[in-house]
Amino acid sequence: MPALCILGVAGVVVLALFFYLLNTARKKVAAPTSISGKKEYAPVYVSIADKPDSIMLGMERFRAEVQKTESAGDKWRWIPLIIFFVGLGLMAIDGLLLLLGYFSLVFSAGGFLLWLAAFIMARSLRRSDTLDFAPRYKGTKEILHTLRDDLKPGATFLGHLDLTGALLKTKVARETKDTQNRTTQYFRDEWLSLKAKLYDGNILRVSAIQKSKKRTSYWKRSRISGKSKLKPEKFKGSAHDLKIRIVVNPEAYKIVPNKDFRQGVNIGKYTVTQLSTEGGMINVVASSPFDEVEQEQILGFLKSTYSLLQRKAA
Amino acid sequence: MSRKIIPFIIAFVLSCLVMVVAGVFSFSGAVTAEKFGSTTAWSQPYDIAESMKVIDLSGDGQDELFIQNASGVRIYDPNGNILNDFTYDSPKTTLGDVNGDGVEDIVVYHSGNFFSVDTIINGQQKTIASELPVFVPARVALIRFDGGSEIVLGDVSGSIASISTSGQVLWQSDFANEEIRGMDDAKIGGKTYAAIASHDGTVGVFDAQGNPVWQISQEQLRRMRAFDLNADGNSEVITGGEYGAFYIYSAVDGSTIFSKSLGQAVSEVREVELNGDPSSREIIVGGKDGGIWAFSYNGTTATQMWTASLSDKVTEISGLDINEDGKEEAVIGDDSGKVAVFTENGTRNNLPSHDSGITRIDIGKLGNERYVVIADGGAVQANKVNFNSIPGFQFTPLIVGLIVSAIMLVIAGILASIPPKPEMKVSFQDKSKESLEAQRRMLKESIADVERLRKAGEVTGDAYLARLKRLRGDLADNEEAYKKAGFSIKVETFQCPNCGGTLELGMDKCEYCGQVILS
Repeated sequence: MPALCILGVAGVVVLALFFYLLNTARKKVAAPTSISGKKEYAPVYVSIADKPDSIMLGMERFRAEVQKTESAGDKWRWIPLIIFFVGLGLMAIDGLLLLLGYFSLVFSAGGFLLWLAAFIMARSLRRSDTLDFAPRYKGTKEILHTLRDDLKPGATFLGHLDLTGALLKTKVARETKDTQNRTTQYFRDEWLSLKAKLYDGNILRVSAIQKSKKRTSYWKRSRISGKSKLKPEKFKGSAHDLKIRIVVNPEAYKIVPNKDFRQGVNIGKYTVTQLSTEGGMINVVASSPFDEVEQEQILGFLKSTYSLLQRKAA
Repeated sequence: MSRKIIPFIIAFVLSCLVMVVAGVFSFSGAVTAEKFGSTTAWSQPYDIAESMKVIDLSGDGQDELFIQNASGVRIYDPNGNILNDFTYDSPKTTLGDVNGDGVEDIVVYHSGNFFSVDTIINGQQKTIASELPVFVPARVALIRFDGGSEIVLGDVSGSIASISTSGQVLWQSDFANEEIRGMDDAKIGGKTYAAIASHDGTVGVFDAQGNPVWQISQEQLRRMRAFDLNADGNSEVITGGEYGAFYIYSAVDGSTIFSKSLGQAVSEVREVELNGDPSSREIIVGGKDGGIWAFSYNGTTATQMWTASLSDKVTEISGLDINEDGKEEAVIGDDSGKVAVFTENGTRNNLPSHDSGITRIDIGKLGNERYVVIADGGAVQANKVNFNSIPGFQFTPLIVGLIVSAIMLVIAGILASIPPKPEMKVSFQDKSKESLEAQRRMLKESIADVERLRKAGEVTGDAYLARLKRLRGDLADNEEAYKKAGFSIKVETFQCPNCGGTLELGMDKCEYCGQVILS
């Protein structure tokens, strides 16, 4: 009976190894997910201080370089599975010897070492895989592409694109504790920050902020049994803020409030929560309860903000 | 060190390790492909043999098979035909030259006629003594004392007696209180004595007149044998206890030479020349639960060579040089009918199993061939044992090691050929003075924003410091870009000598690590 158990466990381990290597070869690796249950993306940070074409070209090159690394490992992905079968072949020699009445473990030991080597190689190949680029990466490129013709000639975009993750320790804005001593963390992830001097003399600032909430893990004692149980951390949801500031060129525009763009109005996925037009500046804060806000929404909101400006007669 | 070289170094080190291990296995001779098999030459029905020996009983130079059980004594010729068959009541037998003609004879101590002793010489049965002062037979031995041969008898009550080869009672003794379990000749100073042991743990050595040379008591015992293990003219008395005590005593004075607790009752002890080295003698001990131990005695003490096991009580041990390498293999049988050959290093090779428990195993030449004769509960079989091995198999670890090493080096080559993952932080920076100035302004505004957020309580603790550290780092990069482009710049940042974080000039304490900065 113990021998059967050992054989069973060994069989399961070998099968698991086989499918691990097979999935490595077929590149069928499940994408990791974050605590919020969403797919995880490559943790990219882009510092922006260049002309739009250079930025877009650089972003495309960067993506190509990352993909090159991945494709370099792709042609070797079947090797670990082949090594697995070589190991199996070696073990079969011992099986053959056993059928002939000889007992040997030499080839099995060699086969086991090859399986170990195959596993290490498969792991290394998987580690050379990169996560997909977040849709925000492409979205930011499209925002830059859309705004590039509005930029003052020779001027640069300034800012950053931070896709390293919304729930990093370094992005904890504050923490609160409830009556049960459970800690809730509030994250503030300013994933996009852009500043640009526009062709019409205005200065545009855009900040896209994701605000998330997470309850950290904690020990809970059962009232009945008295046993302590670790409750896992829990994602409590997220929301998006969009901050826009336009320093208006007084020679070209005057600010004219209108009923279509005022506090409380919904524009796309956003709702205007703060609006100030004092001092020749438009300061707008818009919020969105949606999990994700696409670049079209940001561009649409920008366009709507411009409805507050009325061009002065030449 | 280059990341292209590291995999090769690791692979090389691992390959060396693999090859060293492979070399050790290859050149130590630990790896072999050997198999032992057997073919049955003949088989005859025979119930539960108690004693069996391949021996020349007729003096014709050809061995016969002597076998005895609880109901009689039988002799087979080399082809398995019955030569003689004698019926007895509870006999115990021993073999020895009774009449001094140089041919082995059979001595039978049995319960018939109030406990008698018969001799069978050249097939002729003769009662030499009856109505003896002993009880139900337990052991008998023909001891060739210096003054002449004596037949020493031991019964189930612990009494012993000695008779001459003509049947005269020479001496008797109430040696112990339980069955006699061992009787053997022992040498002291080259002279022959009788070593006797009882189940109650009494062990003693007697001279030809029945005087004890020494007598000791130990735990209850099952087996006793006497061998002159170091050929110094003084025998060693080996006992195996009911509770696992294994002793080697000096036959001279009964002093303990070696002792070990084996953890199970000792059911058999035999001498087998396992290592082929005549300067040491090997003793195989079998246990009641199937344990097998091999000891080597070098003249002064014993050391354990290996342990192994069978699935049931070890009933018989015998030695035979099957592969003719000058070393005997131990052929061991157990109570479940399993027979296995154990080599010098304890490797087990099974021979065909029997339907009932093995009772006796002996090895000898029947006709022109050497046979392993095995008696089980219902039959006696003469088996021809053969040995096969794959030549050069001991070097297979080197071949396997080379294959593994080669594949490891190939893997290292592949891993080294994969380019490193690019850093996931990328910076697009225009090198014009206007752009650098604009970036600098933006960074300062961002730093001011972070400070404002902190004051408003919107960002605290780690998040504030992390954001500030990143912005100050970007500011330092911006200053560096200024210098590279050849523009003048008033440097506003410096690096913390402790953590490397970027700080603003004038700060006297690092905000990230707490280091006090003097300059």
